[in-house]
This record gives sequence, C-alpha cells and structure tokens, in this order.
Amino acid sequence: MNSLPARTRGASRRDVLKGTGLAAAFVLVPGLATSCAKSKSESGSGSLKFWDMPWAVESYNTASEALVEAYKPASGLPAAKLQRIQWNNFSTTFASALASKTGPAVSSGAGFQAFQFAEQGYIAMADNLISDWEKDGFLNDFITGTVDALKTSEGYVGVPWQSDVRTWWYRKSLFDDAGATIPTTWDELMTAGELLKEKGYFGFGNGAGAGNNIGAQSLVMMMINNGGGLFDPDGELDLLNERNVETIDFVLELVKAGISDPAAVSYTTDNHLGQWKNKKFAFGIHTPALDDNIADSSGDLLIASPLAGPHGDKATLAYVNNIMMYTNTPSQEGSEAFVDYYIRGMKTYWQTSVISALPVLQSIVDMPEFQKSGNKVKAVKEYLPIAKTYAARSSEVFPAIAQVDGSQPLAQFTQTVLGGQTDAKSALTTLQQGLSAIVTS
Amino acid sequence: MLVMPSIVLLLLIHLFPLFKAFLDSLHTGSLIDSGEFVGFQNYIDNLTSPTFWKAARFTLVFTLVGVFGSWAVGLALALLLRTRIPGGGLIKVLLLLPWVVPIVVSSTAINWLVATSSSPIPVLFEKVGLGQPLFLADPTWAAIVVCVFKVWVSFPFMMMMSSAALSGVDQGVYEAARMDGATSMQQLRWVTLPMIARSTYISWILMTIFCVNDFPTIFLLTGGGPIDATNSLVVLAYRTVFQNQQVGPGVSIAFMMTVVLVVLSTVLYRQIRRAAH
Amino acid sequence: MTATHETGDLSHVVEVRGGKGRRSDKRGQWWRFLLILPIAAVALVPVGVVFLLAFTPSAASNTTGLTMENFSNVFANTDVLLWLQNSLLVTVGTVLVCVAVAAPAGYVLSRGRSRAVATYSLMLFVFQSLPVITAVIPLFLIFANIGLVDSLLGLTIVYVGSSMAVAIWMMAAYMDSIPISLEEAAWIDGASLFRGFWQVVLRNSLPGILSTAIFTFLVAWNDYLVAIVFLRSDVAFTLPLGLQSFFQQNTTDWGAVMAVAVIAMIPPVALFVFLNKYFSVGGIGGSLAGQ
Repeated sequence: MNSLPARTRGASRRDVLKGTGLAAAFVLVPGLATSCAKSKSESGSGSLKFWDMPWAVESYNTASEALVEAYKPASGLPAAKLQRIQWNNFSTTFASALASKTGPAVSSGAGFQAFQFAEQGYIAMADNLISDWEKDGFLNDFITGTVDALKTSEGYVGVPWQSDVRTWWYRKSLFDDAGATIPTTWDELMTAGELLKEKGYFGFGNGAGAGNNIGAQSLVMMMINNGGGLFDPDGELDLLNERNVETIDFVLELVKAGISDPAAVSYTTDNHLGQWKNKKFAFGIHTPALDDNIADSSGDLLIASPLAGPHGDKATLAYVNNIMMYTNTPSQEGSEAFVDYYIRGMKTYWQTSVISALPVLQSIVDMPEFQKSGNKVKAVKEYLPIAKTYAARSSEVFPAIAQVDGSQPLAQFTQTVLGGQTDAKSALTTLQQGLSAIVTS
Repeated sequence: MLVMPSIVLLLLIHLFPLFKAFLDSLHTGSLIDSGEFVGFQNYIDNLTSPTFWKAARFTLVFTLVGVFGSWAVGLALALLLRTRIPGGGLIKVLLLLPWVVPIVVSSTAINWLVATSSSPIPVLFEKVGLGQPLFLADPTWAAIVVCVFKVWVSFPFMMMMSSAALSGVDQGVYEAARMDGATSMQQLRWVTLPMIARSTYISWILMTIFCVNDFPTIFLLTGGGPIDATNSLVVLAYRTVFQNQQVGPGVSIAFMMTVVLVVLSTVLYRQIRRAAH
Repeated sequence: MTATHETGDLSHVVEVRGGKGRRSDKRGQWWRFLLILPIAAVALVPVGVVFLLAFTPSAASNTTGLTMENFSNVFANTDVLLWLQNSLLVTVGTVLVCVAVAAPAGYVLSRGRSRAVATYSLMLFVFQSLPVITAVIPLFLIFANIGLVDSLLGLTIVYVGSSMAVAIWMMAAYMDSIPISLEEAAWIDGASLFRGFWQVVLRNSLPGILSTAIFTFLVAWNDYLVAIVFLRSDVAFTLPLGLQSFFQQNTTDWGAVMAVAVIAMIPPVALFVFLNKYFSVGGIGGSLAGQ
C-alpha cells in the first residue's frame, strides 16, 4: 500500500532543517534583492518620478528621455527621473502603484484618469500652476478650451500637453476613381458612400475588434456631432435622446447599404490601418495621426472638413491628454517646477516631428515645422474649436467620463451596430442599461 | 517535513490574494477605491445576468472542444510518433512549437491569416468556392476560430503527456493481442487506451483548468467579441475589472469559477485514485 | 497479482522501449510519415507566418523582399540580449526552485494517506484554480511592502508560487507509478524516509522531473500578465515585456516584434532538443508513464 510508515523521526529533523533553510532563504534574500533593486531604479532618494507612456514611435521615447534629462532644477528642488510605462494593463500598473504608495510624482496617462484619481484624493490640483501662468501671460498660449477641459469643481486636475481629436479622413484617388465628391454633410456622405461602394471602396471605414477603440469613439463622435452624446447637460446618462437615435439610425443605414465594411466588427488597430493602407477605405473617422501611422506622405490621404449633421451641427470628440501631479511627491513645489519646465520645453517634440498628436499651445501650432503638416494644421484649425469631451452637453467635466471610456458596454454596442443586426432604439437601450450599471457617480 | 517549503511558498503567494479577492467581491470598489460593502449582491447580480450565462455557455463549449480536441490530436500524433519515422525527431520538436510561441505573437499570426477579405485564408476559401466567411466578425465563425486556436496551442502539451504515458506501455501485451487476431483499431480501444487511462484523466483535468482559466488566448484574438460571442468567464471577469472598473462583480465571477473548478477536479481526482486501486 | 504488476512496471520506467516486427515496419514507417506530414504542415502554418513576418521589412523601411534587417535592427537598437538574459535568469531560477520544492511535496502527495494530505491536496486544487489576474494586485501590494517589486527575484517567487501546484501534481502522478516495494526494501535495510525518497524514488523519476521542468519553464518564459505589473525598470525587462514595448500608441513595429519572438523561441527549442535524449523513445516527457 502506498502509505507513509509510522517511523519518521530521524528524517523529520533533517527535513525541518531543510524546510526552514529554504524558508529562511526566501526571507533573507529579499534583503539583498531590495538593495540590488533599489540601485537599479531611482538613483537618488527624493528625485521626482515622472511616468510617461509610449506616445509615438521609438524616437519619441528618446526625445522625452533627453528632455527630462536636461531638466536642471533650482537649488533645493529635486531632479526628475523618467519611467516609461507600457499601455498594456496600464490601469493595473497605476492602481497598484497608487495603492502601495510607490507611484509617480508626475505623469502623463490616459485622457481621463486624472479625474478618477482626483476623486480618491491621489491628485495634487494644478490651480497654483495655472494661476502662475495666468499672471505671466503664458496661459494665453493655450488653445481655447484645452485648459478648461480639465476643470472640475475641486480644481484643475492637470495641465494639457497634447490633444487627440477624431477627424474625418479621405483618400482622394479613390474618390476620383468613383466619381464621388467629398461630403460636407451626412446626407452627402450617404451619396458618396454609394458611389464608392460600386467601385468596392468603403465610405465609412471603421474598426471595432480586439484592442481597437476607434469604432466606439467614432460612434460617440457622431452622436456628439449631431448634438447628442452619452450624457445630458446634468451629467446623467441619456442615450435615448432623439439626436442619438437619429445618429444610430443613420449609421445602421450606412451598414445596411454596405458602405461600412462588414468585417470591421473584428478589425484590430492593425487590420484597420491595413485597410486604409490597402486603399480599401475611402472615407472614415480616425485620429490625426493616420497618415503617420501608415507612413503615407503622398498627399493622397487628407483630413476632410468636419461634417454637418442633419440639423447642421458640427462637433467632434476630443481627448485632452494631460500631465498630472500626485499628492505622493517629495516636493509639491518641485513637481510644479518640473511641470512648468516640461510644458514650456515640449515644443521640441513637434520641432523634431517625433510626435503625431496635436499641440495645445498656439506657439507650437505657429511653428514652421508644425505648419508643414497640412493635415494636422487643418485638424487644429477646424476640429479643435468644435471639439468636446464625452461630457459634450455639459459645461463641466466629471469622473463618470473615465468610467465609460473603453468600457465593455460601449464596445458591445459598437459591435452590435456595426454588425447591423439591430435597430437604434434597442441598441441604445442596451447601452444605457450597461452603462448605468457601471457609472457610480 | 518534506512538504513544508511548498506550504510556505503556496501560502505566501496565494493566501492573501485569495482573502483580499474574496473581500473585494463583497464590495463595489474600483481599482483605486474600495467601495461599499454589499454582501453577496455582486454574486446575485452575476447569477441573474444573461451575459454571465452566455459566457458560462461559451466557457463550456470552449473547454470541451479545447480538452477533447487537443487530446485527440495530441494522442493521434503521439501514436504516430511512437514508432520510427524518417525525420521523427525533427518533427517531434517542430510539433512542440505552437506551445512555445508567445501567445501575443501567435494570435497576431492567426489574425494575419483570417482577419480581412484580403487575408490568405478567406482568399483561399473564395477560390475554392466556399464563399467568404467573416472569420472574426461573424459570431459563430469567431467562436470556431477561437476554439481551433486553443486546440492548436494545446495539442503539444497533450502530445507530450500521451507520449510519456505510451512509453510506459508494455509491448508484450500487443503481441498477445495480435496473436488473438485483434486489429489495430481494437488494439487501440481495448489495450492502449485502458493502459494509459490514469494519465489521460489527469491530463484532462489539467487541460480543463487551463482552458477555463485561459485569458490571453481569447482576449488577444477577439477581445471577447464580436458582441460577446467569445466571452468566456475569465475574459468577462477581466473586462469587468479592467474595462468597466468594477472590481467587485469581476472578482465574484472569478470566485465562482474557482469553486466550480475545485469541486469538479476533486470529484474527478477521487475517481482516478479509486480506479488505481 | 500486485507484486508482479509492480515489478513489471519498474522495468518500463527505466528501459528504453524498442524492437518491433520487421517486415511491415518499413512500409508502416513511410505510410505514417506521409500521414503526419500534412498534419504537421497545417499545424505549423501560423508558426510559418511568424517567421515570414520576421523576415519581412516593416512598414517604415524601404527594403523589399525578405531581409534580415529586423534582426539586425533589433540587436542594434534594443536591449534584446538583456531581456534574454533576464528571462533566462528568472526562468531557470523558477524551474530549479519549483522542481526542488515540488519533488518532495509530490512524494508526500503520492504516498500519503492521512487526512492532512487530503486537505493539502484540496488546497492545491484551490490555489491552482484561481485565475492569476485576480491575484495580481494583492500580490503586488505585499511585495511592494517587502521591497520585492521591480526585482527579478520577486518575479521568480511569484512564478514559483504560481506553477507550484501543477508541478506537485505532475510529480505525484509520476511517482504513483513507482511501486512502493522499492522504498519498503530500502526501509527494511535501515534507510530513513528521506533516504528512501532521495535514493530510490527520485533517482527513478528523471522523466517526471524533466516534464515538470519543461512545463514550468514555459510558464515562466512566456508570462507577461504578472511581469508587466511587477517589473518597471527597463533593465529588468524579460522577453515578453520587451515584446510589449514595441506596441506604441497607435502602431506596432511588427517586424521587430516577430524578430524578437523568433529569438525568444530559441532557448525553449534548444532545451527540448537537448532533453530529447533523456527521454524514452516515443516522445518527450515521462511524467505519467502508465500503470
């Protein structure tokens, strides 16, 4: 029988030693490891941890490291050290860092995370910095609306550094080939779409697959375009208002007419970009960085002027990406000094063209290097003024926005609509129910 | 005694998270905020949600296809490779590659093969006259692709386990069977399979746990879509926690999964031990 | 009945199986080869895609046709060798510790009949069944408090803990097939329990140990969910994290990703080839040699 005999005394002493030895090793060695780990990470205690995301290609990473390295703090203030944080599972990285007090003093990040963190008291408000800038006039350099997009009832949760809007793009050669004209209203989009379809091109290029949020953002953008949006002016979820229903009805018409690619439901970011690159998509919504993303500088791929909705409204969805400061910092004054330096110095990214996002400082927009990019200039000129966050219809921003962005109900909604097997009311009702369960404030 | 180091390690790594996770499932917090205590409300909400049951159904399908599909393929290959084949050694190593390739890379390869209308496999289907199925955009096809992908990733493990078990089978028994006039099929059914039964059951249990808990394989390929068609319970749990930022409901799903798995495995394992004696 | 069965078992465990009928063998060989070839070919298509993409120039470059440039780019501009080194450190560490701890534990699980052992076995099931994503943040909190975050050692400990349960199982299952009569013989000769374990069972468990080692190796080698939360500094990146670093805001450098993936496949494959010699004919792994 396979059972242990009763006699174990001699062996057990040996084994207890062995077991304790191993256990002890695991307790002692961490001590060694800690010193090793520390020497690998921050060089000096009290230096500012600055977390930045990979906002563009490798050249951006190098440029940002250089910019941070070049920061010479005033005496008594801490120097800054940059840490690159990957987008993958970034919310877990930030959350676990904040919970264990090992987080950064300053960081960039997702468009709305500052609002959520502020609610929990992790954010140091930027009011001081903003009022300093107001005094010396620097605040005037910010494009209208960008700073206010970060204002909550408790203060400014961060300072803007670049913005990301949703714009309409078109590929000229495909329009010429189909004999269609670039639309300026939604109705014209339908007409052009039908002409493009005859040649096998898609007039409503989109993508809503794994990891691809453009699809969801495009539907929200269109709702906002039409004067609707996810929330009402009081910040309550209002999916079923008539402008939203009208919007989704329109999108469903596009889908049924075959103007939207049926496989778009599953397109990852790469599939999506691939369709633009392969000249299958003739018209559609994307970020201002589309031409950079597919390395297309031929001049064939251009940003179209904003479309007017059925009631003549023009609006788009925007993310004002911001630099935020945290309460867990060696020196608040040091944080502010660093952010001040960083915002004033970030123009080098656009000077050396390492970043594709839109600047928020007018002075950067006016730079000759930026003016060279016709598409981005057009985006700044025509889209930024009409850009709204998810809180489109309200004048204030609130944390609920962060909860809906990238959420599961929104993704499901997008896939349902792009799949075409539904009607506007039911899809929006499902979305309303799904989002109500999530939005807590 | 001999088990103490393992106990120390297991407790260190697993006990606190298990405890904290259970606590979280009783609250309505987000990743950064503990939220309020709601007792078992999260569990009730989940058990009454159609999304949950849809995910449970898909998990069942995914697991059954994953376990038995990979076992069948793995066993077949192990049987074929049991004897000498020209280049057998090389083929053996090559057949282990699907297990070795990082999932993020192999899911990209699958996407490259089927995602758009100009991808190789849809083009092939069209040429052969089978029309152009939307492999990842159509809910049914997406589920098929995900299950096939899982079988592809898992068969090397099953092949390894089957090979090991087969290598312990006494060849003498086959001689006896052959002399009694048994065909290859009969030998397989009445000689081989019973002799590797215990190892087979254990590999089924292990693979069941792997399939139920497998998050990257599905999430990287379809993200749980389209329209939740390929949402398994663990993907649903992840999305609830990290995309909806609802830690409580998400973790409660994970707990329910754990309970079911533990009950299932314990029952099956007892069967095996009983069978051995 | 039991006695003869068990002695019969032992010979299987150590011998190399071989020797079959001659005449049908040659024809059988080729028939099986032809059968397995298309299966292997289809199974390897996705792997082929990985290699194809690794040798295809990326979107940003100007070369056309197949090229080695992704590889030269990766070696010149990234820390791939550092990632390789870190991955090897962590993975080898995990395998060594895991096997060292799982072997005795598996022995107890296999031989033990007491209530305590049954509870222990249940505990193993529970711990193995909880998905890792739910455990990641609490673990991070503990490790942050003892200073093991952003360190390869901390990561190793987590990997060991995660693969421990399955490793113990695999060991136990293999040891089940080694008859206790051998240890009984040793005990009668005056050896202690530990001696019996060490000299009799362990010595005969090489295939089981190697299977467990391979399994643990692959779990640690390819993990990124845990690594991405625990590791921050670039100098500590393992290969899966290095892969992730190519996923930028809106685009991905697929050529580089695939090239690194190919590089990442080399050590495990080398391990398989190397270990292939130590297993009995019929395949890699002897952990569950049948009864």
